[in-house]
Amino acid sequence: MLKSLKREDLLRLLETLAEQYDLQVPLKLPDGTRQLGRYGSGELSLCGPLLQRKPTSLLFPQAELLLSINPDGSVEQPHPAEKPLALFGLERSDLAAIAFLDRFFLCEPADDIYQGKRENSLLIGLTGFAGENSAYLPPAGENCDLELIATADGWLGCAYSAAGKTLLAPFPDSEAKERTEIDQRAAEPKTDSLLKAASRLLREDKVPDAFWQEIADRCILCTGCNLVCPTCSCFCVQDRIRDGKTERSRVWDSCQLDAFMREASGHNPLGTEALRTRRRIHHKLVADVERWGEIGCIACGRCDRTCPTGIGMFAVVEEMINQFG
Amino acid sequence: MTATLTTCPYCGTGCNFYLLSDDDGRLTGVEPAGQHPTTRGQLCVKGWNAHAFVDHPDRLAVPQIRRDGELQSADWQQALDLVHDQLQAIAEKHGPDSLMFLSSAKVSNEENYLLQKLARAGYGTNNIDHCARLCHSSTVTGLVETLGSGAMTNSLSCFDETELVFVIGSNTTEQHPLIGSRILQAKQRGAKLLVADSRKIRLAKHADLHLRQQNGSDVALLSGMMRQILRDGLEDRDFIAQRCENFAAFAEKLESYTPEYVAGITGLEPEQVIAAARLYAEADRAMIVYAMGITQHSHGVDNVRAISNLALLTGNLGKPGSGVNPLRGQNNVQGACDMGALPDVYSGYQNVADPEARKKFSTAWGCELPETKGLMSTHAIEAAATGEVRGMLILGENPMLSDANQGMVKKALERLDFLAVIDIFPTETAAFADVVLPASCYAEKDGSFTSTERRVQLGRKAAEPPGLARTDWQIICELLQRCGLKSDYQNPAEIMAEIAALTPSYGGISHDRLQGHGLQWPCPDKTHPGTPILHIDRCTRGKARFSPVDYRAPHELPDRDFPFLLNTGRSYFHWHTGSMTRRSHLLDREERFAFVEINPDDASQLAIFARQQVRISSLRGSITCRALVSEKVPAGQVFIPFHFTEGAANALTNNALDPESGIPEFKVCAVRIEPC
Repeated sequence: MLKSLKREDLLRLLETLAEQYDLQVPLKLPDGTRQLGRYGSGELSLCGPLLQRKPTSLLFPQAELLLSINPDGSVEQPHPAEKPLALFGLERSDLAAIAFLDRFFLCEPADDIYQGKRENSLLIGLTGFAGENSAYLPPAGENCDLELIATADGWLGCAYSAAGKTLLAPFPDSEAKERTEIDQRAAEPKTDSLLKAASRLLREDKVPDAFWQEIADRCILCTGCNLVCPTCSCFCVQDRIRDGKTERSRVWDSCQLDAFMREASGHNPLGTEALRTRRRIHHKLVADVERWGEIGCIACGRCDRTCPTGIGMFAVVEEMINQFG
Repeated sequence: MTATLTTCPYCGTGCNFYLLSDDDGRLTGVEPAGQHPTTRGQLCVKGWNAHAFVDHPDRLAVPQIRRDGELQSADWQQALDLVHDQLQAIAEKHGPDSLMFLSSAKVSNEENYLLQKLARAGYGTNNIDHCARLCHSSTVTGLVETLGSGAMTNSLSCFDETELVFVIGSNTTEQHPLIGSRILQAKQRGAKLLVADSRKIRLAKHADLHLRQQNGSDVALLSGMMRQILRDGLEDRDFIAQRCENFAAFAEKLESYTPEYVAGITGLEPEQVIAAARLYAEADRAMIVYAMGITQHSHGVDNVRAISNLALLTGNLGKPGSGVNPLRGQNNVQGACDMGALPDVYSGYQNVADPEARKKFSTAWGCELPETKGLMSTHAIEAAATGEVRGMLILGENPMLSDANQGMVKKALERLDFLAVIDIFPTETAAFADVVLPASCYAEKDGSFTSTERRVQLGRKAAEPPGLARTDWQIICELLQRCGLKSDYQNPAEIMAEIAALTPSYGGISHDRLQGHGLQWPCPDKTHPGTPILHIDRCTRGKARFSPVDYRAPHELPDRDFPFLLNTGRSYFHWHTGSMTRRSHLLDREERFAFVEINPDDASQLAIFARQQVRISSLRGSITCRALVSEKVPAGQVFIPFHFTEGAANALTNNALDPESGIPEFKVCAVRIEPC
């Protein structure tokens, strides 16, 4: 059952959410971009371009304290959050990324730090005419608890979980009975077919080493492609000793760094930039397919935007298809 | 998660990013500013890790005073009183010029301004300088003479419009990565790329022509190119006639630089010199990009003059996609110079020897000011070693690792009667101090910083400083107050108001106007939009001046006992003396050991294998580090970055100075290598 919400209703919903959850909503930043931040701490920016900071960073931050070891050997865990997280304003790719990370971090043995944040958390999709200049965003599907779909004159609410249904209960039913009535444009995006074509080329071993060398020559090793990627999950562990107490944190890592795979001897099985560049693409388009049955790129475009030299996923995929497809 | 927009603390590109912090105020990461004109949602690896050192346990958190030979905790009052009493006592006993103040290209404009005011008005000496002496002092001297301004003439957006980029002595993708990437983008869209660098840097892989001239032979190379341009009639005669002076004397000087003569000095083929000349001169809009490979020579100023001559000869000045573009290495080295943290000028390059300028500052500050120009930092270290300089205050610099000839620096620091250091980490220099004052780092304060393209931008506070640490401007205000000078600034915006009132090029700059993307100076009044390109219709000095130069060999070249040429510089993952990057986990992990790049042929001859520990010695010192066998360096040359205290490149380097700019010859000295 779809619900109908006016703007005031939506703001009322946010107030309700903020009482029960640590509510993170899209905020407008000083340079004009948007990212998730705590409700009430900045100017709300419901609709607009893709969120600059990947929303998964709230579940898996760039640097995160895991535990502290006291001088007497006792271990302290960071204090748990007072309220569960609610991430509001996610589009389809954001939700696909969270589903991807859930599968990775929550498979046995589950990552308890991630699990602690994800348990009881709430995901709210924001789709429909909610993109930049009211651009149409395809439906989020069932990767969220509830989805709000921007229409020409308001919002449609669609709940997928019990928590979502409870939250939407106070609002009137909409005239549209099925979401398919508003999902006319939900055909497979062009990006997905490009990724599939590139994946096939790699699996058929049609991309020579020289291609990777040429791409790697253009890489300036910023590591941005990994750091902005919502499905990248690699981290390293950092220990710091402060006043006799060891603080153990985890920090986002990057497979583009030499030290990522370097052994203590100095030998490195991924010892060239070409091999590391190949790995970056190969992992998403081949290794993930073999492990999870699906491509590991959720086509958000962040790596193409953040790459200073134009060798993000789609730039590479297009070159690959042009040359070898 | 809180997001605070600020300016990157590393190189001079001036990228903006958000520092992200959690509910406990702990920094949790960095996100590039998506709409900023330089950043455009992109950063280099150091930018992405710029949060990492901020809360490192090694941060200085309490003032320290040396007692019984050891640095011990003290309170601020005691420490500040001691600093002031000691500096004042030395000035009274030995004269104000027995003091030296080292400011910092890492701190804000406001802090640099206050420190030069403290030196001049508070303690009566023009002995103030900072690390621009070690990087772009040659540029300031050379370009002020030829153009009237030492700053980068064009803007970074010009890379989008240029037809050719000539990169000489700049490893741009490693040292100014977001500028290097713009050069690669220019190349991708069809611009030509000419690279002159003895090392096979990343840009060289993409170059239309890569010249591997001998280190120190740039004047010969550039003169050879200019002679060829004249031979081919590729000069811009209208520009020369209308905008320049002293052409005849300059042209005459070029006569002897035939391709064959130049080939003999540079180690290039004569045809390469001719090809380079034609490639550069045939472009309608060409940008010259240079950095330390040009400036850090005993003839650094001559190198800069030759660069300027080349741009003038082809009319590549005062228009989009052209210009002379010295890339500033530090986040605020441009600003530190602009603010007058130099021995000969007040803020805005107003000369201390000019009675009018002196009167203006004297009236504003309410005190008499010294007339004679002060000591350059390199001369001051020499003077400390001989006992002429007796007291020193060092703000955010680490000369023990950054200055040439570490043995002499050590002797200088040991000999000082009194040394005060203000810093964020216990550096190798702070180990010699009598008083160490803990400062806030970039993430813990507000202030403005000026990037390489003269863009004045804000840095904003995103975290609390550790322990009792204070901002540099607050610390300097305490000393100003003890000197009886105005010290009641409430915030950096008030300091900027004073700077704007006294500095014509910053006249229209205020913190309110810097919200957004900042302003490029000159910005003379409150409605001025800033200046993306300098020298458009006329140069700052009026007519541009051709400055004739002759090739002079480096001070010390390889010989039988020391057969290798040592080149020094920075690596991509570390920053200067490593105090920040070696405390940033991912950056430290990437390069954990001091190393020397050595060509495979040389390594083979010396029976040195990869990752082996080797000993490198020069006339001045000896260090050990790991061998990195690489074709990046040519045979006969080795390269060592100066980040590592345990294998300090500057224990070897030569403090032969350029006679005009006082810059040391970091790029050439002679060394011997032995397996350990």
